[in-house]
Amino acid sequence: MLCAEPPVIRLREPDRHLCAAHLIADVEKRAARTIRERELIKPHDRIAVAFSGGKDSTALLVTLSRLLPSWEDVSLVAITVDEGIAGYRDDTIRAAEEVTKKLRTEHVCISFTDLVGDDLDALLVGRETQACSVCGILRRKALSVAAQKAGATKIATGHNLDDEAQSVLMNTLRGDLPRLVRTSDADSSDCFIPRIKPLADIAEKEIAAYLFVQDLFPFLPECPYTRYALRLEVRSMLSAMEQKHPGTMRNLIKSKRAIEKHVGRRVMSEPLRRCRECGDPCSGELCQVCTLRKSLGK
Amino acid sequence: MKIILPCSTINMMSGDPVSISQILDQLCINPSEVIVSRNGKLVPEDAVAGGDDEIRIIRIAHGG
Repeated sequence: MLCAEPPVIRLREPDRHLCAAHLIADVEKRAARTIRERELIKPHDRIAVAFSGGKDSTALLVTLSRLLPSWEDVSLVAITVDEGIAGYRDDTIRAAEEVTKKLRTEHVCISFTDLVGDDLDALLVGRETQACSVCGILRRKALSVAAQKAGATKIATGHNLDDEAQSVLMNTLRGDLPRLVRTSDADSSDCFIPRIKPLADIAEKEIAAYLFVQDLFPFLPECPYTRYALRLEVRSMLSAMEQKHPGTMRNLIKSKRAIEKHVGRRVMSEPLRRCRECGDPCSGELCQVCTLRKSLGK
Repeated sequence: MKIILPCSTINMMSGDPVSISQILDQLCINPSEVIVSRNGKLVPEDAVAGGDDEIRIIRIAHGG
């Protein structure tokens, strides 16, 4: 224990108990270290924070707002994507508005209806099992459109250590090597707004505790489409492994980085092309959004 | 002791002292997937609860 205050969390690697104040300081210090070591934020950056109002993006926005004064001429804009999921998104959007108001952060919303003329519920009728992939493709596009419009130079997402480890395992299970070795740091691509993950070294449980002790934990409903996701099975398998064998998630990410270092460039050496429909950068003839639009008859 | 589960169901347990990790174990809940408060304050899994304590188990793994 670092002080005499009552502990709120026990962390392993190294094994330690932290009180609320030390937990807050620890999370913010580690996020700042990730940003510094991976050079995620540079002077004059305008950061679009992908902000759903859920716990990870709330922790990201709170952390970045507090670190903001330590960077030269950096600004934040929170972007909320309204997919149009009945009984779910309205609550999270309300939560998002409250947080941005409290933090005095600029906030913009973009909806799937703005993007493709329909909400997710309508798009998924009869194809519910594809919910996460359809939503993921459109959400990335919506975020990118809104970030561009807001003049952002980076897009920050709230992916945490658990998310990163789950993605490594999911890409391995799917045999998707290009996606497995895609670099997780801000890249120098001229075609896309670089994406950054300042919370990638912080466990989901630490993030939840970080918010709870500040009365910022959002008690929100779960996305109704989650039950169709492969991630749900992977998450439960990995968290059981982590509990039994601490360090499992970190080791998975370490393995991914080692593979990335050795084969990353070779796997990713295919030149980027332009989508023949919309002109966006992509690897094939059509980008994922246009492929999806065609399959949806949009 | 009053235990509030993630689904908001309330379970009553005897007030004998017991660690949070033992409570989670009895309920077959993985500690990595939840945070736990005792009388409104967050506590680690090796904290002890008992008597009239109110234990709230909050699921953190969310989709969306």
